[in-house]
Amino acid sequence: MNTITRIAIAVALTLLATEPARADLKVATSLTDLASVAQFVGGKHVTAQSLSRGFEDPHFVPAKPSLMKAIQHADVFISSGLELDSGWLPLVLPGSRNPKIQPGAKGFIDASQGVTVLEKPSGNVSRAEGDVHPLGNPHYYLDPKALEVVADHLAEAFSQLDAANAADYAANAKAFDARMETSLDKWQKQMAPYRGASIVPYHKNFIYFAERFGLKLFGTVEPKPGIPPSPKYISELAESMKKAGVKVVTYQPYYNAEASKQVAQRAGGIAIEVPTECGGVSGTDDVFAKFDVMVASISGALSGKGGAK
Amino acid sequence: MRLCARTCLLAALALTPALASAQTQTTMFSNLVNPAIGINALFSAQAAPTLNQPYGPQFDEAELSAIAVVDPYWTLSANIVFLEGAVDPEEIWARSTNIPSLQLKLGKLRGTFGKHPLLHPHAFPFVEAPIAVTNAIGEEGFKDAGLEAAWLTPLPWFAELTGGVYHALDVSDDNPLDFGSSRHDNLPFLGHFKNQFDVTGETTLEAGASYLQGRGTDDFVHSVVGADLTVRNVPAKSSNRSGWILQGEWLQKGANIGGDYVAEQRGGYGSFQYRLSQVWWAGVRGERALDSTTDFMTDAFDSAVRGAVSRGTVNIAWVPSEFSCVRLEYSHAKADVGAHPTDDRILLQLSYTIGFHPAHAY
Repeated sequence: MNTITRIAIAVALTLLATEPARADLKVATSLTDLASVAQFVGGKHVTAQSLSRGFEDPHFVPAKPSLMKAIQHADVFISSGLELDSGWLPLVLPGSRNPKIQPGAKGFIDASQGVTVLEKPSGNVSRAEGDVHPLGNPHYYLDPKALEVVADHLAEAFSQLDAANAADYAANAKAFDARMETSLDKWQKQMAPYRGASIVPYHKNFIYFAERFGLKLFGTVEPKPGIPPSPKYISELAESMKKAGVKVVTYQPYYNAEASKQVAQRAGGIAIEVPTECGGVSGTDDVFAKFDVMVASISGALSGKGGAK
Repeated sequence: MRLCARTCLLAALALTPALASAQTQTTMFSNLVNPAIGINALFSAQAAPTLNQPYGPQFDEAELSAIAVVDPYWTLSANIVFLEGAVDPEEIWARSTNIPSLQLKLGKLRGTFGKHPLLHPHAFPFVEAPIAVTNAIGEEGFKDAGLEAAWLTPLPWFAELTGGVYHALDVSDDNPLDFGSSRHDNLPFLGHFKNQFDVTGETTLEAGASYLQGRGTDDFVHSVVGADLTVRNVPAKSSNRSGWILQGEWLQKGANIGGDYVAEQRGGYGSFQYRLSQVWWAGVRGERALDSTTDFMTDAFDSAVRGAVSRGTVNIAWVPSEFSCVRLEYSHAKADVGAHPTDDRILLQLSYTIGFHPAHAY
């Protein structure tokens, strides 16, 4: 066999190799928060990456082919569930050509399983109400307690795929839950003075945070999910906020800050940028840091010490 | 109580438990048997002085889409198009879900060729398909029964190699390619290589090359070759209200006649689409096609004539949600042949979708 033939065979074998040797579970997620929880639960046995970035709207992540490539050899894919990622994941998952992580496979995890879902529509669901989520509000990751449910679920799922490290996954999930309970106590104390206060988020994603910390949602900047506010709507919302004494508007890095600031200005209040996903702003690299920033921002705004950003 | 009434009463009493049981009995069919179904309807209106047709609205098509998992190994997708006076099973194909790095598609497909030929009409960025695409491969691409295999290669970037074989198909209104030879060895085939790179976290570059070949009714080998390049920007913090797409594509149709390659219809386009806001898009496109035909390139007897043509198009689209779109478009075209070598027209297109709406291809 001559040299050229040997090289050709070596190149062909390299190209035909479909999966590198596995050192631990390669986990991919649709949301940064899920990657954070997965990394806590998986510890040294897991490398977790999120396909979306924290400053991207999780509804509208571009279904780039490079995302398909990124998960071609993943062992696990964690979807947010409740169709939050339905605008792009149905292209990315099949495009990855990775049978291990397709819906129905052991490596596909719906993180919403076991979570108490709010705002499940009853009766007819129609797009006359905007871009509604027919399975309920999917932004459960804004409730610290929901992430404990996710952590426990992931520990179980990782254990089924990697039984040798099941004890570590269980211990890590327990440690995560304990840390979350301690942190939740701290956040509850910070938010306690503002129980019953109203805020106006840009989108209806705040319902879980509001329920947990006793806040009320006085409408949203967008008139219906996915529909941008008109000047008339902005004016009407601001007027009703003024009458009710509601002063705080929140928006995420990926929403139209201008509309939120206009509402706040006309209502005589403030608009604050609040990250709802890890990595949404600097200093929110994991779920604990994220909630630290959320609680500080919102409590600061409600105290009257916060300002428009 | 009369005997008849007693009998009826007893019968009713006897049947009631059965009726109650039937009402509460679990059906043997669950929602598992219902695919995700959607319908897209397209309407348009055109004011084109060079065409011998009235201005006014028209129904273009309604596309019924259905998709469902067949079993752990396959998913089936179907697009059935209803036109004025006709029904076209445009695409009905099964996709494999269980093969690492490889995706098989078999059925009636839209061949994986180029960029624009992959689009359904309601997803066209401009109302009219590029002249070069229509002449080389068909306004809606190459649609035919076949089998394709798309391999996601181990290269470190997204590099997909697709090969396909198809049913031998003759020229038709939808298909300008002559693959109609009845020889047993006439198996039209396709090759497509798609590469996509993340230039930055928000900008991507895609480059592709395509080739399609088959034997014609004249017994010569007919082929079409294409190249496409797309640069796309989607700002991460405003992905649903800003961004742009710069795209170009070139196609050439030809035949091997007596050992010599003879180029036939060829040409290309370059387009730029800009997202002005969450609900507004604007677009501009320039095209050049050689040895081609369009609907306004006719002789004095209204017969189509072939020649060189250039066209510029601008449009604006109002997209209040993902499920509806109103597009207003103006184009100016100039050909070097025909009784009316210059064409100006205004088009209005309306698109509505209900039910299942597939995720948008990037």
